[in-house]
Amino acid sequence: MTTPTRLLPLLLLGSLAGTAAGEPLVVVVSAQQRIERLSQEDVTNIFLGRFRTLPSGLPAAPIDQPANSPLRAAFYQQLVNKDVASINAYWSRLHFSGKATPPRQTNSDGEVLRQLLSQPGAIAYVERRQVDARLRIVFEFPP
Amino acid sequence: MTHALRLSCLLACLVVPTAATAETSTGDSFWNGLAIRGFGTLGVARSNDERAEFVRDLSQPDGLGRHWSGKLDSLLGLQANLALGDNTEAVLQGVTRYRYDGSWRPELTWAFIRHDFRPDFTVRVGRMGTEFFMQADSRNVGYANLTLRPSPDYFGPIVVSYFDGIDASLTGDTGRGLLRAKVFAGRAAEKTPFVKPFTWDLSGSRMAGGYLDYLSGPWQFRISRSLIRFKHQQPVNAAATQAGIPFDLLAAAPELSITGRHAIYDSLGVVYDEGRLQVQAQLSSIRYDSAVYEDTRAAYVVAGYRIGQFTPFVGYARTHSDPARLRTPLPAPMAEAVRGFIAATHADQATVTLGTRWDFQRDMALKAQLDMVHGNRDSRFPMRDAQPGWDGRLNVFSLALDFIF
Repeated sequence: MTTPTRLLPLLLLGSLAGTAAGEPLVVVVSAQQRIERLSQEDVTNIFLGRFRTLPSGLPAAPIDQPANSPLRAAFYQQLVNKDVASINAYWSRLHFSGKATPPRQTNSDGEVLRQLLSQPGAIAYVERRQVDARLRIVFEFPP
Repeated sequence: MTHALRLSCLLACLVVPTAATAETSTGDSFWNGLAIRGFGTLGVARSNDERAEFVRDLSQPDGLGRHWSGKLDSLLGLQANLALGDNTEAVLQGVTRYRYDGSWRPELTWAFIRHDFRPDFTVRVGRMGTEFFMQADSRNVGYANLTLRPSPDYFGPIVVSYFDGIDASLTGDTGRGLLRAKVFAGRAAEKTPFVKPFTWDLSGSRMAGGYLDYLSGPWQFRISRSLIRFKHQQPVNAAATQAGIPFDLLAAAPELSITGRHAIYDSLGVVYDEGRLQVQAQLSSIRYDSAVYEDTRAAYVVAGYRIGQFTPFVGYARTHSDPARLRTPLPAPMAEAVRGFIAATHADQATVTLGTRWDFQRDMALKAQLDMVHGNRDSRFPMRDAQPGWDGRLNVFSLALDFIF
């Protein structure tokens, strides 16, 4: 609800178009964070709960797009070549054995932005066109 | 008595920090941090041979016959996670399944507090899952696993699923991959079936262990060792009397005693999980310093390949134990009886598994599986109530619906 209104049309368009249209996904942090670059392995470790320390030493707080969002499906497909059911099965193992916690789930992409900007160490994936001066791209999928 | 006491201590552990944090939490309601979720399996299975009862693992007192039965694989788990601040969490889990006493009485399987001192250093205190072998602590979460049930050849002898104590895990980035070390120590709290209708009390048995994981890309490697020192005697004499052995078996062959004796579980595991392909393999050795069980080596490999919503899989498992060695010299008829008793723990079988997982709907999977057990005539341990005439072979047909919520 705190999403700036000028972003809303873009966000809506983004959800509708999904990534089927080919809009690339990028991994971002708040521009105030000091980290510049992450490798695909770093991003995998953070989002799969294996290792969540950023190069700055700060704990990483990964944020997921909504559970049914096409962005979420596209992200894990590109990151680890897994569909949503496999990712959910992966997390059910860790959750029910009381180990790592999954990335924080959001209800809308507006909430993703809000958490990115308010939480220290927050890291998320968005469509490239959503990136503005408040965000910094730390990882892009190779073309 | 001590059992109930320990449990209430655990619960107190969970409640006290809860109250403390509630005072300091600001803004959002404290209960916002509460998440209740669950997992379960509705499964039916039957075998084609009544001369031996196939079980999921040796925590079950009896197993399958020729009729479809839901007891082997059906279970339901409920878990509550309560966040106590950013780095601390309390977890309670209860599971109902077909258990050692033939009932479905729910058990408190997890009750611990987890604290992340750093993102890469975690300590848990309370009751939690044992990981004698890789994935042992999630073997009841059907939805998390590819096959319908954990391989009985491999996981069958693991009758301990939780313990009361502490564990700590530390993860480091080597630059090429992650290295994770975990250690645990505590006491068992369960009972397990012995020769029917007797049970063996494992509670209070001290256990400790640890593992080293290496994770790199799609690869995970693990080496582990765990040790348990049994506290209570097995009802060997009661079972012997029932079997018509007319003398004190434990007095005649003290090496059959298990009190104060230990078992060592060693394992190596590897998982390759990339895109559509998933392969895992494990190798284990279990050694006892009591003659009542035979030392066992086991291994399994399973591979699945995802095609759309279907993941067909194929698996092979093998278990083999060293024949009993009896050092105490005994008169022939006695030695015979004792050897016969130990022979019930002999394992020498292989299982070929074929099946498929169907992810037909979000958070649900249907599985169909065929297990073909090829054992030697003297292989008895992996089954319940194997008749003298059984040839060591049987097939098991299974269907299951796994779900999480």
